[in-house]
Amino acid sequence: MNFSWPSILLYTCCAGSLLAISGCDQLPGKPKESDRWIAPDAIKDFKQLFGTNCSACHGDDAAIGPSLSVQNPFYLAIVPKDVLKKLIAEGVKGTAMPGFAKANGGDLADEQIDILVNNLAGKAATQQTSGSGKTSSENLPPYSASPGDTDRGSEAYNQYCAGCHGQAGNGGKKAGSIVDPDYLHLVSDQYLRSIIIAGRPELGMPNYQEFVKNHPMSPEDIANVVAWLASHRHGASEANAAVSPTATVSSQ
Amino acid sequence: MMSTLRTVALWLERRLHLTKLWNQTAGHPVPASTGSWFYTFGSMTLTCFCIQILTGIFLAMSYVPSAAESYHSLELLNYSIPLGWVLRGIHYWGSTCMVIVMMLHMTQVFLWGAYKYPRELTWISGCILLFVTLGLAFSGQVMRFDTDAYWGVGIGASVAGRIPIIGEALVHILLGGPIIGSDALSRFFSLHVFILPGALLAFVSLHLRLVLGKGINEQPKPGVLVKRETYDKHYSEIIKREGVPFVPAAINKDIVANGILILVIVGLALFVGPNGPGTPADPTIQIADAKPDTPFLWLFACAALLPNGSEPWLFFVFPLVASLLLFLLPFITNEGEKHWRRRPVAVAIVILSYLGIGLLTYEAITGPWSPQMDAWSGLPIKAEYVKGRTPLELQGAVVFQDMQCRNCHAIAGEGGHRGPDLTQVATRMTNPQLVRQVIQGGGNMPAFGKNLSPEQTRALVAYLCSLHPPNVPPAREAVGVLKPIGETQPTPSPTPGNVAVRGEK
Repeated sequence: MNFSWPSILLYTCCAGSLLAISGCDQLPGKPKESDRWIAPDAIKDFKQLFGTNCSACHGDDAAIGPSLSVQNPFYLAIVPKDVLKKLIAEGVKGTAMPGFAKANGGDLADEQIDILVNNLAGKAATQQTSGSGKTSSENLPPYSASPGDTDRGSEAYNQYCAGCHGQAGNGGKKAGSIVDPDYLHLVSDQYLRSIIIAGRPELGMPNYQEFVKNHPMSPEDIANVVAWLASHRHGASEANAAVSPTATVSSQ
Repeated sequence: MMSTLRTVALWLERRLHLTKLWNQTAGHPVPASTGSWFYTFGSMTLTCFCIQILTGIFLAMSYVPSAAESYHSLELLNYSIPLGWVLRGIHYWGSTCMVIVMMLHMTQVFLWGAYKYPRELTWISGCILLFVTLGLAFSGQVMRFDTDAYWGVGIGASVAGRIPIIGEALVHILLGGPIIGSDALSRFFSLHVFILPGALLAFVSLHLRLVLGKGINEQPKPGVLVKRETYDKHYSEIIKREGVPFVPAAINKDIVANGILILVIVGLALFVGPNGPGTPADPTIQIADAKPDTPFLWLFACAALLPNGSEPWLFFVFPLVASLLLFLLPFITNEGEKHWRRRPVAVAIVILSYLGIGLLTYEAITGPWSPQMDAWSGLPIKAEYVKGRTPLELQGAVVFQDMQCRNCHAIAGEGGHRGPDLTQVATRMTNPQLVRQVIQGGGNMPAFGKNLSPEQTRALVAYLCSLHPPNVPPAREAVGVLKPIGETQPTPSPTPGNVAVRGEK
């Protein structure tokens, strides 16, 4: 059988083209499924939902948010699931937390809010079983409670908080003013309570068990400090500026 | 066997006069000097057009020109139909290359003075081909019917609407109604698939007829001037002296150049891939960073950069004057010098046009003209800009995100770039200046006075005042601390957050 150069060239070209065409599906120009546009309603992935809706304020695994981390093990251990759902869906009136449900002008479908809530609750369960028992919900103070006594709150503040936030709360070496009326105007009592319990470890603030070594704050202390802080608001004697949805959903 | 073939060939020849046709077309004599790389752009444009026709036919087999289904049919091509994405890629890059190669062809013709006597009509038909090609590129972009297409049509329609007297009727004809929907898509489909390709075929025929009739422009020599009285004789002498048949003597470089062009187009399709479809054409979707395709990016940049009120100039006067100049060019300089070395104005025009279009295209690709609509909820601030802040400053950062400041203002380079990056804003603006800017807006920023409570403003400004490097002090008032009008009690020390907006309450 005789092979001439032109025929060898022809066969090589044909074989090359066949190879090239069969390999097309691996080439970088092929559109990837990940580039495909997905309707915002159709996103079902927790990481994506959290990343696009929550992470800017509440941080994520890699970033610190300016507001309380909702992945904080203490916070997740105490917040009831239905409260979390209501918080995401309706927001917190008087604070920067907007309602994310479509009914409240947000972009999230009910199913997507459920995905967020269920995954966060799932994280709480994992942390409780794998943790040292510190975040076991049996030992923790309740998520919400009615405000305590202002005078006792002042005492408790001096005992637990003044070391960082200064004697009168106007700021110390380690942390800034916690009685700034502007700050207090922008946050709810429940937010203050949650931060006292959960701390902001990512910013160096310990949780309620660690303010004083081997002497965790009692639930009464926490309620009292919240009352004392709230008394520094503009017009604190009037109704609270920020109303927490937990007032209606308190499960404790 | 051979004699049968010969009989058939002769039979056909006697009826079709193929030899004569060949001699008058592919075999027509051209100056030997035109067998140059610079003369290959015309045939490359034609090759692109053939690729577009071929891939377009196959695309039309799958594409559904309806607002409800077009997007899905493109997704089918991208993800389901075997090699459908390659087809889309070749069609997209073929279109981009066609515009680029056509521009190069036009530049060569302009610099070589080929538009001068007696090839005025060749130039004019070429200009018509340019506009038809741009029309095809634009209507092709509409076929994607994604957000780029939607807003592209919206801008196209508003440009058409600026034409006096007929503007409104023209928009109605183009869109088939007051909204951009299926009617508009069908009309652009007809334009893209029937009307414009038909026009292109007709004008390509005319263009080639003129090229054959008036001959390919010889390589100009400095000092050899074109004169209406003597040029025809001069050209026929050149053909007599150095004339060679186009095929096979002068076509070699065209074949190589076209081969490279095809490789480039297929390579781009395989390695870069097709364009889109992006976000669907739905004006209610906020997160849509619409941009036109490459040939129109420079216009997009013009529209974004020009000062307010100059739109009539950009979208009506400029295109009108530019088109008139383009069409009348062969009559403005009909005779004289052809060589670019003796035509500095022509060279300057080319350099300025390329620089202008190139820089505007670059600006359009990199320009941060659209806010990053999801930054406020999906882009955390880097840890170093959160750590070490007071509770008020942290709440200010929350306000910063919640009020969607981040959509236009980046911190540490992340976020929108519509407004200035605020990473070190405290080094250049004082607390009162920031308060004024937030409340009153200005410099293209909306006023937030009505949307922010005094507490939110103070918190926000407190946070902004914390944005300075540790070794650079924040900006301070040259005149000392400002006292709000009518306030008698001593003004508190200017720590971030407590100077501001007392006058408002």
